[in-house]
Amino acid sequence: MNDTTNRQLLSGNHAVAWGVKLARPDVAPLYPITPQTPILEKITEFQLQGEMEVELLTPESEHSAMSACLSASLTGARVFTATSSQGLLLMHELLHYAAGARAPIVMFNVNRTPASPWGFWPDQLDSLSQRDTGWVQLYSESAQESLDTTVQAFRIAESVGVPVMICHDAFYVSHAVEPVDIPTASQVDEYLPRLERPLRLDTALGQSFGAPIDQATWNRSRREMAAAMDKVYAAVVEAGTTWNALCDRQYGPLEHYRCDDAQVLIVTMGSMSGTARVAVDALREEGIAAGLLKVRLFRPLPGPALCEALAGVPCALVLDRNYSPGMGGILHQELKAALYGMADAPRLHGLLAGVGGVNVPPGKIQQWVTDYREAEAVPEAIWVE
Amino acid sequence: MLEVLILGRGGQGAQTAGNLLAQAFYSDGFYVQTFATYGGARRGTPVSASLRVDAEPIRLRCDIEQAAAMLCFDDSLLDENFLRRANSETRIVVNSRQSREAFSSLGDYQIVPIDGLGIARNNDMGTVVNSALLGAFVAVLDQLDIETMCRVVLASAPVKKEQNVAASREGFRQFQMTH
Repeated sequence: MNDTTNRQLLSGNHAVAWGVKLARPDVAPLYPITPQTPILEKITEFQLQGEMEVELLTPESEHSAMSACLSASLTGARVFTATSSQGLLLMHELLHYAAGARAPIVMFNVNRTPASPWGFWPDQLDSLSQRDTGWVQLYSESAQESLDTTVQAFRIAESVGVPVMICHDAFYVSHAVEPVDIPTASQVDEYLPRLERPLRLDTALGQSFGAPIDQATWNRSRREMAAAMDKVYAAVVEAGTTWNALCDRQYGPLEHYRCDDAQVLIVTMGSMSGTARVAVDALREEGIAAGLLKVRLFRPLPGPALCEALAGVPCALVLDRNYSPGMGGILHQELKAALYGMADAPRLHGLLAGVGGVNVPPGKIQQWVTDYREAEAVPEAIWVE
Repeated sequence: MLEVLILGRGGQGAQTAGNLLAQAFYSDGFYVQTFATYGGARRGTPVSASLRVDAEPIRLRCDIEQAAAMLCFDDSLLDENFLRRANSETRIVVNSRQSREAFSSLGDYQIVPIDGLGIARNNDMGTVVNSALLGAFVAVLDQLDIETMCRVVLASAPVKKEQNVAASREGFRQFQMTH
């Protein structure tokens, strides 16, 4: 840290609000929901204090908030919103709409259990169940990563022309207060130039979006989305590399922690990655060559990079903090598909760990590695405690 | 790593106490992580805050299973469920007018009752007990300078700044006088 570094104690949610302030969105339609609300509150405070020039809209529901995001974005405006759980689920229809219209909206979702039963706990089912809507999905582990990823998301969204959703876990990240380095406004301005959007709602241009089309045109729109998705991996790499040059913090689609000579890898997303690092260090102390493969970019799934990271590793444990009824853990399911047919694929164990926000301390992760690293893999997910 | 749990009722300032302690440790050069867990909590329902303090950046993202110290804002919350996360080494400060002996039936714990309400009233703080309890807790922790804590309380108190600091100092002294 040098003398000019602005390091503050911030919660994960307030770190997101700082990222938003620095990214200078033109419009932010927001609707409150626990545990997202501190993002909304902080942005509102920034605006009230004159620190942020943004058109804040507070419509009557998340469905309307995303509708407002879509129309604002299509005019060429830079747009941000945030939500969680039921709010994200209420937006579902508009998520498809926004992705189909290729609106580069950035949204922050705080991962929380969907009802019923009613709960407020960290679980990634809310965002993972939106995986087919055409939004890029990035998962964050810490307040610092949430701030940095919020800024990076605008660069990714606007360079490729896709909406981007960033997620962090309720409470363990959203409400965890920790030291965060805040970049300067000039750093972020340099990082996020305003790009000309040739296709936009503009009375001078006379273009429109979302008109009724024939089958072939709808088909073509999906092929174009596929082509855009193919560009996202490189865009995430570029966004991370350029950020690193500015702020000296490295991010990519995947993160490899002590993976080089690992004989067993833990694969997970979000806050559990932090606890898994501690478990990996403890396992190494015991003489077990463990590593962590953190999946930061979930959509598009970085299939080739995952295959490369797992090739030749004898065993991998996927820790899913979500449950798809009738199937199992969603990351496990996706990894099985990505690794299908690979000759030197690891024995892949899918563990349903921490579903519903159940506590997962490092000792449990160590125990699971010990229990499963020599075991034959089964296709089904396993409930663990 | 120091791991601390704070338990209170919604509105009493348990989350704020966690944040203020975190700020004090942070200003003394430590890495900190504090988080509240409150679900659908409303005023009066139990809420908890967790605090980790370490010389290294903190990576854990899970609950504290065994705390080195606990601060409890309401003695009616000090039950078996909460004490499962304590052991005989855990230093526990509880806001209570009862004597230490009144808690002996809970088991082999180091429980320090502090009359936070009395201290608050002495210092024109009404029923706002968190600054008084923080002072006592700093004394029990014995890892933080009371002057650091007072500076943080002074900077953070939205109103009655001097009274808040006075309550912290009295809480600190009260523990020292009785131990």
